[in-house]
Amino acid sequence: MFLQQLLNGIMIGSVYALTAMGATLIYGILRILDIANAGAYVAGAYFGWFIYFKTGNLILAFLISMAATGLIGVLLHRFIYAPILSKPRILPIVPLVASVGLFTLSGDLARLIAGPGTKAYNVDFGTEVINIGKLTVVPAWILIIVLTALLFTILWLILNRTKLGLAWRATAEDSDIAQAMGVNTNSAMALSYILGYGFAAAAGIMVGILYNSITPALGEVPSYKMLSIIVLGGLGSPVGTVIAGLFIGLAETMFSAYNLAFIPKDSIAFIVLILVLLIKPSGLISKSNNI
Amino acid sequence: MKKLLALILSLAMIFAFTACAPKEAPAPSEPGPAEEPAKTEPIRIGFFAPVTSPAASADGLSAENSAKLAVKLVNEAGGINGRMVELVNYDDGLDTTQAVSIAEKLTTKDNVVAVVSGSYSGPTRVAAPIIQNAGMVMVSAYAVHPDVVNAGDFIFSQSFPGKVQGKAGAEFAVKTLGAKKIAIIAVDLDFGTELANTFTAHAEANGAKVVSVDKVAISDNEFTAIITKLKEKVQPDLIYIANYYAHAAEVVKQCKLQGLNVPILGTEGADSWQFLLTAGEHANGVYLTTNMNRDDVSTTTQEYITRYREEYNMEPDMVGASAYDAFQVLFEAIRQVGTDDPAAMRDAIAGLKDFSTVTGKLIKYTENGEAVKAVQIQQVVDGKFTSKGEITDLDIITPSAK
Repeated sequence: MFLQQLLNGIMIGSVYALTAMGATLIYGILRILDIANAGAYVAGAYFGWFIYFKTGNLILAFLISMAATGLIGVLLHRFIYAPILSKPRILPIVPLVASVGLFTLSGDLARLIAGPGTKAYNVDFGTEVINIGKLTVVPAWILIIVLTALLFTILWLILNRTKLGLAWRATAEDSDIAQAMGVNTNSAMALSYILGYGFAAAAGIMVGILYNSITPALGEVPSYKMLSIIVLGGLGSPVGTVIAGLFIGLAETMFSAYNLAFIPKDSIAFIVLILVLLIKPSGLISKSNNI
Repeated sequence: MKKLLALILSLAMIFAFTACAPKEAPAPSEPGPAEEPAKTEPIRIGFFAPVTSPAASADGLSAENSAKLAVKLVNEAGGINGRMVELVNYDDGLDTTQAVSIAEKLTTKDNVVAVVSGSYSGPTRVAAPIIQNAGMVMVSAYAVHPDVVNAGDFIFSQSFPGKVQGKAGAEFAVKTLGAKKIAIIAVDLDFGTELANTFTAHAEANGAKVVSVDKVAISDNEFTAIITKLKEKVQPDLIYIANYYAHAAEVVKQCKLQGLNVPILGTEGADSWQFLLTAGEHANGVYLTTNMNRDDVSTTTQEYITRYREEYNMEPDMVGASAYDAFQVLFEAIRQVGTDDPAAMRDAIAGLKDFSTVTGKLIKYTENGEAVKAVQIQQVVDGKFTSKGEITDLDIITPSAK
């Protein structure tokens, strides 16, 4: 049973990490908590569903949905976040409020355009389950774990092996100095939004396939849970976010598996968060040893 | 700066007010105190449902569609006693604060003769006392919480309360399916708690044992860990799921995938086309306790199902049928006593006997305003809800006093 629960936990944790990655990348550069990332997750799930429904091609659904959602991210940054942040002495709460508004809008748009009812992906993997000894593996889990690993590898390569990634890291370190050194901080910000919103879209599709249902309320839990994951991961650290996502996924799974206490499962992420803030306020991986 | 803030706040207030303005009928001009409405004027009936709450909007839409259909059909048939019916339609957004202001408006400004709630227990139970205090009749379509009807003698429920459904579920699980070791999974809301508690009490009184209870937040769709635990440690011989369709679909799917092959008994929360859509073939074999029987050959039921499909091009569900029936209860009372005297309307509803509705025969009302009607047992066969009989034992289906 322990092995099975470990696998369950890694699968959930992968989804969490992917969901929170967008917010991490954006926080890393802009220092704003972008709740609207959960809206990108909703938008991505619906785009993906629509394309899969029309073409029956899952790869196409992922690619187009991630690109479209990433583009929306860039536009939102260009026309909403950038004008807000360019005002002198802006309070950090202003972009936060804007992002909450955008998130609320995403759920209502989904309801108005696609209707309030549940949509199902109904992806046919050919086989229902794969049994390895006593371990049960559902094909969707393999898809999720492999795809998450693939996306994180691509992310790592972009951030560490490309010029754009260097610009991102320099901007995340200190955007004023980076700009003074001739780094194009605007393209670093655009990169954050393309990757951040694209990842959220991929996470949305995966959750849609995993639970075979998407509704306008899809983003509600990620909208707050991702906060605890990014803080836990050390605010702005991609590696920290992966570790924190897996950690919360495993903690929640073990919690419901062994009935550790009678509190809602969703509160675990926040209990862990409080403990971390008390013991190690900089998060599991602090900014100084970023990436 | 202060001026700007004041401006923003007042704008926000205006939006807050317009957000709960009636969507259908324009507000009537303030009636003069001595003015008696002429008998040819339409009968205005208030209605609210959670249409814009992302979490509940599918049920909200279903209830709202059915409310409109009920009014449309009664008007097609010439109205009630020669008067047309008009719907005063609100959206509560599954928000109790909004439900309070809707109840205030319905009772003071909208000139309605009675109210139907097409909403969940939360909004309905805060609206109920306000409507009761105004001396107006309200019929709740499907809210299960006891506080709804406990608000007073003007408040009725169209459906059986949660305690009856839980008890009927236990009766079926223990006596018909022979369950001895039962695991419960319930949504952590009034709905799930009420059903799980009453199910447990009746199942244990009949010799079965409830070996585990897992409460899950409505926003949580992750059941893998719970099903693994049930399969490897708890090993129940039946799973009772007091959850809505999204949860129910995920539970049955995980059970099938992980190879936990025991009977699953759900509730009216899963009585929706959305359950069949998301659970797919995994839904086959699942039992439900509900108030709707799609196989019912009565013309009332079949007319509703046919017309609903025609009007909205989608499948009707328990929520919609219940909202439709709440209107039928009200229409019948108005047919009998008119709209002038709310107390007479109340007595007419309380006195209904063997009244035929879409969701079966309403046998009578208890003193507390709860409907006594048979609990339907349905099973999913080949992707369709199919009747597996009904529980008609009056000892089970008559709600105990409050």
